[in-house]
Amino acid sequence: MGVIVKKVELTWLDRSYVWPVFKGMAITFRHFLKQITTPTSKRFTIQYPDMKKAMPPGYRGLHELKRFEDGAIKCVACFMCQEACPARCISIEAEEFSELNFTQGFEEKRPSSFKIDMLRCIFCGMCEEACPKDAIWLRNEYELAAYDRLSLNFGKWDLINTYATVDGKARLAQSQESPATPSRPTNSGHQADPA
Amino acid sequence: MESVAHSIGLSAVMTWTLLKVLIVFGSVMGVSSLWTWVERRGSAMLQDRIGPNRALLFGRWQLLGLPQLVADGLKFFFKEDQVPPHVTKRLYWIAPMLAFVPALIGFAVIPFGRSFSYQGALYHLSILEPGNGMGMLYPLAIGAVAVYGILVAAWSSNNKWAILGGMRASAQMVSYEISMGLAVLAIFMKVGGYDPGEIITEQAGVLWKVLPNWFIFRQPLGFLVFFVCMFAETNRLPFDFAEGESEIVAGFHTEFGSMKFALLALAEYAHMTTASALIATVYFGGWSVPFMPEAPVLLTILFFLIKLLFFMWVFVWVRWTLPRFRYDQLMFLGWKVLLPISMVNLIGNAWWMTRGGH
Repeated sequence: MGVIVKKVELTWLDRSYVWPVFKGMAITFRHFLKQITTPTSKRFTIQYPDMKKAMPPGYRGLHELKRFEDGAIKCVACFMCQEACPARCISIEAEEFSELNFTQGFEEKRPSSFKIDMLRCIFCGMCEEACPKDAIWLRNEYELAAYDRLSLNFGKWDLINTYATVDGKARLAQSQESPATPSRPTNSGHQADPA
Repeated sequence: MESVAHSIGLSAVMTWTLLKVLIVFGSVMGVSSLWTWVERRGSAMLQDRIGPNRALLFGRWQLLGLPQLVADGLKFFFKEDQVPPHVTKRLYWIAPMLAFVPALIGFAVIPFGRSFSYQGALYHLSILEPGNGMGMLYPLAIGAVAVYGILVAAWSSNNKWAILGGMRASAQMVSYEISMGLAVLAIFMKVGGYDPGEIITEQAGVLWKVLPNWFIFRQPLGFLVFFVCMFAETNRLPFDFAEGESEIVAGFHTEFGSMKFALLALAEYAHMTTASALIATVYFGGWSVPFMPEAPVLLTILFFLIKLLFFMWVFVWVRWTLPRFRYDQLMFLGWKVLLPISMVNLIGNAWWMTRGGH
């Protein structure tokens, strides 16, 4: 099997080298005019610290641990993401909890600690796919830099808050009281009852 | 003029010459250094990029990237003036000056405006008065001396890449000088003299009622040869064989640092300025304003400046459009294409003149 190489027959005008030079210069000058009349914001170059590229919806950036409207974490500590993670960067510790409420349903398990080592994470999105509760999302933030390794070891509260300000929600802190929600009366009432 | 001359203790002629020297050298230096900015921003625009714009004046004003000039200059001044141990010291120190000075003084005979009389005295707007007997031979001779700057820089570096670059550049400049000389010879023949003033007055008037009587329309072939040779003489792309990042590192200025490197780099731009002035003078009527035989002096200066800056822009424009030549292609073009063309141009013009044409 051979490839037929098509030889381009140059006209005398092209072989003179002068005319093609003019053509080339016309092309570059057209680019020059176009570029110089385009406002900076519309040029091809995104001048990074001043401007940022808007990432497409499917982009897999920094994780967020989703929470319900009342602030309770969606994660039920099922360990699916930890198992799915090819980079082994997720480490979860589960805990039981009894303070059930309406929004959250009647789960009795939640992570006491949920760590993602961002230095190990390869942003493959496997955790997102594995999650049965849609509790972990990879979103559009991509500026992950720090001065030391420890600060890229994101814990549960970091991950809950990663997009809080972007979404217009209040940032949650561990010390903060959980927001007032209609709580289900707990069993503790029965025990307190002396009758 | 007299009173100013008297107050600084010089004769009126000396004062006027001093003033012209200051104006011309100041402008050439200013334009040359400004063109390093034009080169970078202009090339960026030609290639759909943005170009340098991160240097800020007082941390605030971007000014289209112009503070980059200041930043570069300051950087070169404050860099350590490192002299490698293996160089030939004396030549190594002289080389940047040898490259820069010819580039600058080539401008001396070029008139940059109409001569004018003021209080009974005639003032000429070129550093050397017209009729000095050198005329256009002077910039051509100085252009030939410019080879030494590159060659001495290369040789004193005692570095194989530098020597290769210097050799290539000098061979190129010497071979293109012949075609250039022959092309300009046709002009001298037509004018009957080689004084730039005469060349410019010869180009006054109108050609075929629609064009200015410039030599580009009367000798387009000669212009083509001269123009291409100017690129070779200034070592600009597509003929920049003194350098070559892929083959010989930075070529002739591999071993130069700090202000010495800056001088060598600026010499290229000063060369460009002089070459543009030559092109404008010889083929585009110098300071003459088309269709305005009695233009005011300031307008002639403005027109000279416009022509000069246009050709300097063409140097940048061509650089960022055309790919480099191969060395054998360069020699082929110089000896087998441009030299015959310039000879044909010369003989053809001579024949035409014997037939009474003009």
